Amino acid sequence: MQTLVNKALRGIHAVEEGVLALLLLSMIVLASLDIFLRMFTGGGLVWVSPLIRIMVLWLGLLGALLATRDNQHISIDILSRVLGDALRRWAQAFTSLFAAVVCGVTAWYSIEFVQGSFEYQDEVMSGVPAWPLQIVIPLSFAMMSLRFALHSAGYVFVKNYRKLAGPEQATTQEGDA
Amino acid sequence: MIQACISFGLLLIALYGAPLFTVILASALFGFYRAEIDLQVVAVEVYRLAEMPVLSAIPFFTFAGYLLGESKAPQRLVRITDALLGWMPGGLAIVALCACALFTAFTGASGVTIVALGALLFPALQNSGYKDSFGLGLITTSGSLGLLFAPSLPLILYGVVAQQMGLDIPVSIDDLFLAGILPGLLMVFALSAYSIWQGRGLPQSTSRFDRAEAWAAIKDSAWEIPLPFLVLGGIYGGFFAVSDAAAVTALYALVVIVFIRREVTFKNLPKVMQESMMLVGAIMVILGVSLASTNYMIDAEIPTKIFDFIRAHIDSKYTFLILLTLFLLVLGMMLDIFSAIVIMVPIILPIAIGYGLHPVHLGILFLANMQLGYFTPPVGMNLFIASFRFNRPVMELYKATIPFFVILLACVLVITYWEGLSLVLL
Repeated sequence: MQTLVNKALRGIHAVEEGVLALLLLSMIVLASLDIFLRMFTGGGLVWVSPLIRIMVLWLGLLGALLATRDNQHISIDILSRVLGDALRRWAQAFTSLFAAVVCGVTAWYSIEFVQGSFEYQDEVMSGVPAWPLQIVIPLSFAMMSLRFALHSAGYVFVKNYRKLAGPEQATTQEGDA
Repeated sequence: MIQACISFGLLLIALYGAPLFTVILASALFGFYRAEIDLQVVAVEVYRLAEMPVLSAIPFFTFAGYLLGESKAPQRLVRITDALLGWMPGGLAIVALCACALFTAFTGASGVTIVALGALLFPALQNSGYKDSFGLGLITTSGSLGLLFAPSLPLILYGVVAQQMGLDIPVSIDDLFLAGILPGLLMVFALSAYSIWQGRGLPQSTSRFDRAEAWAAIKDSAWEIPLPFLVLGGIYGGFFAVSDAAAVTALYALVVIVFIRREVTFKNLPKVMQESMMLVGAIMVILGVSLASTNYMIDAEIPTKIFDFIRAHIDSKYTFLILLTLFLLVLGMMLDIFSAIVIMVPIILPIAIGYGLHPVHLGILFLANMQLGYFTPPVGMNLFIASFRFNRPVMELYKATIPFFVILLACVLVITYWEGLSLVLL
């Protein structure tokens, strides 16, 4: 069971990381190609620029999802540092739970947004429907919600979860004992 | 009453370390809920991230910066600045300042500079006879120096946020890049002058300008030297839009560092991508949800109300600027620069325009203040990064940075009150 879960997790991580790398590389190549064509042939590819804008959205939300996995989101975190270890764990469990709820609510209403876009047949360009591209919003917020919920449970039930959950992010101030 | 309780609760949750974007998101959701607006609007606002052409500059520049940081470019940068500037009085300190400023401009001031360059520069400063406190202070301060030079991420982000607000005076990122030059140079010169004064009486460590070494250093950096020219020349010369320059920079860095120099292997490349895109994701998600909360705030006329309130008490632009400086210093100490821009600019900008400030000038003074906030005791982020990196108590860093803080505070005041310094190049 344990190994199965681990395998599944590793699979999910690999997919996320693979999609991220693919997105970033293709954005760099596409954008550069477009610039090159514009400079030397006088005409670029019209579909590149709208495509890249959508890819930026995907890349950003995927990056945010990875940041959730590794606890790398930007936060202030001034007060929890004056708490003792035990209380601090509860504070972290609570803030993660809060984040899970907020992301969950957002995911829920994002689904309605995508449904609306589907029903009204919104388009990105003529002939290209918008909803498959927008689906990243509910998807990423739902997964972030799930991850925050797991973090929250982790803080409550797993010893030393902080260290397991990934590195402290830069704005929580390192070396401050 | 309920509103006040909720706001206080959210503030508390933020201070206890909840991801900032969830706090902003919660306040936007609550605001729209109270105004009886369908909460779908939050998704609509997040989707607006896909409607800003200039935004692609952020992942491109961040990726290029991380790649450069992972390569041996920092060593080469120190070598070439040393070869070219090391002969001057106070040379090594000036080398440190210039190298850090350039590196920060390209990597965004996220503490990378202290970690990547500090490790090289601090021992070198010690060896040439500078006091430890001077070296520590210099490195810590330099970690955010260069923020005002193109193509730094905070400048781009300020432009993106300001452009969303539909102002009468348009704020182009090209203008911000131009406006940052002189204020940025002022800071570099002021710190250089202090370094020369501190270095008086030290034996000249690197004796003279060594032509052979200079040439060797230039050859060593041959692949990196075109980069600033490509980016800055391209943008200032009008050949590239900012997002184009960013794409070209990313491609160039990728080709040079992975394929030609092979300092980042294929195996490590995905890791560099992930790390850089986590930062991008963290910034973008805050930007996305702030679009929603800003929309709500402007609907509720909050900036106008704050402006009316301040206006009732303060007439003069100059008094307002003093208060703004104090406020921004505290803000810069508490919040990282990206969240500060995204959250506060939509509130402050309309107020500042009401007092007759130019939006580009406000951008420069905002960032100059934030730069100071990075090492404002007691909680400026770079103080802790330096303390961690050099294994010194934070108290020692507080003391070491005081003279630098005073000098840069003077610069910030000049930048704040002398509008022309920012606007003359536009």
